Amino acid sequence: MSVVSYKIKGGDFENDGAASRCVKEQLKKVGADPAVVRRAMVAAYEAEMNVVIHACQGELRASLHDGQLDVDVVDEGPGIPDIEVAMTPGFSTASAEARQLGFGAGMGLPNIKKNSDRFAIESTVGKGTRISFTIMLKPQALYGSGQHAVHVVAQNCNECLACIRVCPTQALRVFRGKPQILDYLCIDCAACIGACPTGALILDGMPAVTDQGADSAEVALRPSTDTVLIIPTPCLVQCGAGVTPEQVLSELAAMGFTDVRVTDPWEAALRASVVEYAALTPGQRVPAGAPVISPVCPAIVNLIETGFPLLIPNIAPFLSGMEAAHTNLDAKRPMSVVLCPCQRTALLSGGPTANSAVAKPQIIVPSTLRAAVMPRLQGHGELVEPRAPLAEAERSVLQVSGLRNVLKILEAVEDGLAGDVAVLELYACQGGCFGSPLLGVEASLAAYRWNRSRTRPQSRAEAVRRGRAYSPRRGLRLDADMTKAIAKLGKINKLTRGLPCSNCGICGAPTCAALAEDIILGRATREACLRQQQNADRRNTGTTGDQEKAT
Amino acid sequence: MKLDELAKKIGAEVLTPGREVTVEADQVYAGDRISDLLNAAGESVLLLSNLASGHLTRVAELMDVPGICLVGRQRPDTAMIETAKEHRTLLMVSPAGLFETCGRVYRCLTGGTCSSP
Repeated sequence: MSVVSYKIKGGDFENDGAASRCVKEQLKKVGADPAVVRRAMVAAYEAEMNVVIHACQGELRASLHDGQLDVDVVDEGPGIPDIEVAMTPGFSTASAEARQLGFGAGMGLPNIKKNSDRFAIESTVGKGTRISFTIMLKPQALYGSGQHAVHVVAQNCNECLACIRVCPTQALRVFRGKPQILDYLCIDCAACIGACPTGALILDGMPAVTDQGADSAEVALRPSTDTVLIIPTPCLVQCGAGVTPEQVLSELAAMGFTDVRVTDPWEAALRASVVEYAALTPGQRVPAGAPVISPVCPAIVNLIETGFPLLIPNIAPFLSGMEAAHTNLDAKRPMSVVLCPCQRTALLSGGPTANSAVAKPQIIVPSTLRAAVMPRLQGHGELVEPRAPLAEAERSVLQVSGLRNVLKILEAVEDGLAGDVAVLELYACQGGCFGSPLLGVEASLAAYRWNRSRTRPQSRAEAVRRGRAYSPRRGLRLDADMTKAIAKLGKINKLTRGLPCSNCGICGAPTCAALAEDIILGRATREACLRQQQNADRRNTGTTGDQEKAT
Repeated sequence: MKLDELAKKIGAEVLTPGREVTVEADQVYAGDRISDLLNAAGESVLLLSNLASGHLTRVAELMDVPGICLVGRQRPDTAMIETAKEHRTLLMVSPAGLFETCGRVYRCLTGGTCSSP
């Protein structure tokens, strides 16, 4: 990781671009792509000039790490009274002097946003403004580089093959007794974690339990008053019958977590915003007649980007509830997040939605939280009247959960058979987030308990617009050379026809076609197919029998 | 097109030479606002502008712009010439105004006759 920081003086028009030049030198050192350098320079120069034009003084800090450039420009200045207005192209409050020099076109903030992969701005009138943005040095490196949240503990695998059968995108293989995950296909739905009976597939960051005992690297809860704890709603109803979410929250407060944010209000805000977005005229958003898909579940967004690129325009441009709760946090505060795999990747991959201005959170698995809180709970709380029924507008939301069902719905949408649906809220886990395989309590029971609790949002939440558009994932490339790739495709098809096509899965690949691809790409050998071997053996014995008869 | 050739054809005076002998540009962007110029700038873009100031040369350097053409017979200050020299950005001055210069450059790049009327 390399960090540069540069002080900027307000009104110093003679040294414009000096801070940006430092950033450029860093980028050149790491051999960044010229197109990336270009985007970085537009954004950095605009941010730098904002300080020169408007503020008394400021500082630009740039850090390069994990394939991304994070830039923070903090100034002491008048601040921005209305950020939305300031973001409008053409709006400027620059002085006549600055305009004379060609500045003050009112394109600064829009330019920064346009040229960065993530952009955030916060401002206090009379104090100053902080602009932070991230530029991915290699956008394609996001996928196919181990950027998924499922961790393999190979020694625990007993080759039961449950994972390859449950994986909805055929991203899993079990060859030579070791589960392998094909990065470009994994959507972080965690179905395999739920299906694995031996703990060979776990959430990255979760302590692995092997014959040698539990991994000592278990992350413990570290309560402190300045730590922000973000909890997905379902985690509050994992502590048994009669234990209300309020009790869990008050126990957490007693342990020292004074700032606990439950994602529920952000999810409600997201739903409201998506319903509002869906009510826009079809010309302003998605193709007419198609439902708007809520980005509530990151795994579903991954699924659409992987397998349904035609439906990408249907996804409403917002951050998921967890990502939104994670944004707008004070950069200096440490943070702990209780997470499921889908959200983990979205927050940590440095992907389009990550908020780099905020320190990387400490990840806690739901079971750790439960283990810490459970023993402290005494007595039973009182369950109360159900929550208010859905608002009229929210009745237009169709919720579908469980990947098998979601896949069918997405196919129907793609075929134009769901035109009557206004908003689709799709969840990878059966029963929505309550059904995450990392949680212990059965989904319907947990949802029932949550709906009967009286916990109301403690914090005001707003849906957050995504900085970067959704884009199709780069799929598998059989070969960088197109001619070779076509030749390989031909071989795969021919080989598939030669396999039994019973899709028995015994070889460790989910289907015969998948095995053929694995063989051609060198991930498996022809001997992997037991049935073909059996057939060959049978044929061989047959021939020897005939020969014997002849002699 | 090579920038020094282009300068000759549109009747512009070259004040500082460019990076190499073969500085070329295949796109042109004209504007008087830094943000616009910044957004359009690139390593094969010639910038046309009325802004005779060091800011423009510094933007050009950041964005790896090969050349700048000032218009309307403007004389840049020595600071601007110095920065252009330092960053080896080709700096030329056209006798015509922004609109007229754009027309001449357009004709040159599209293969028409370039001589001034």
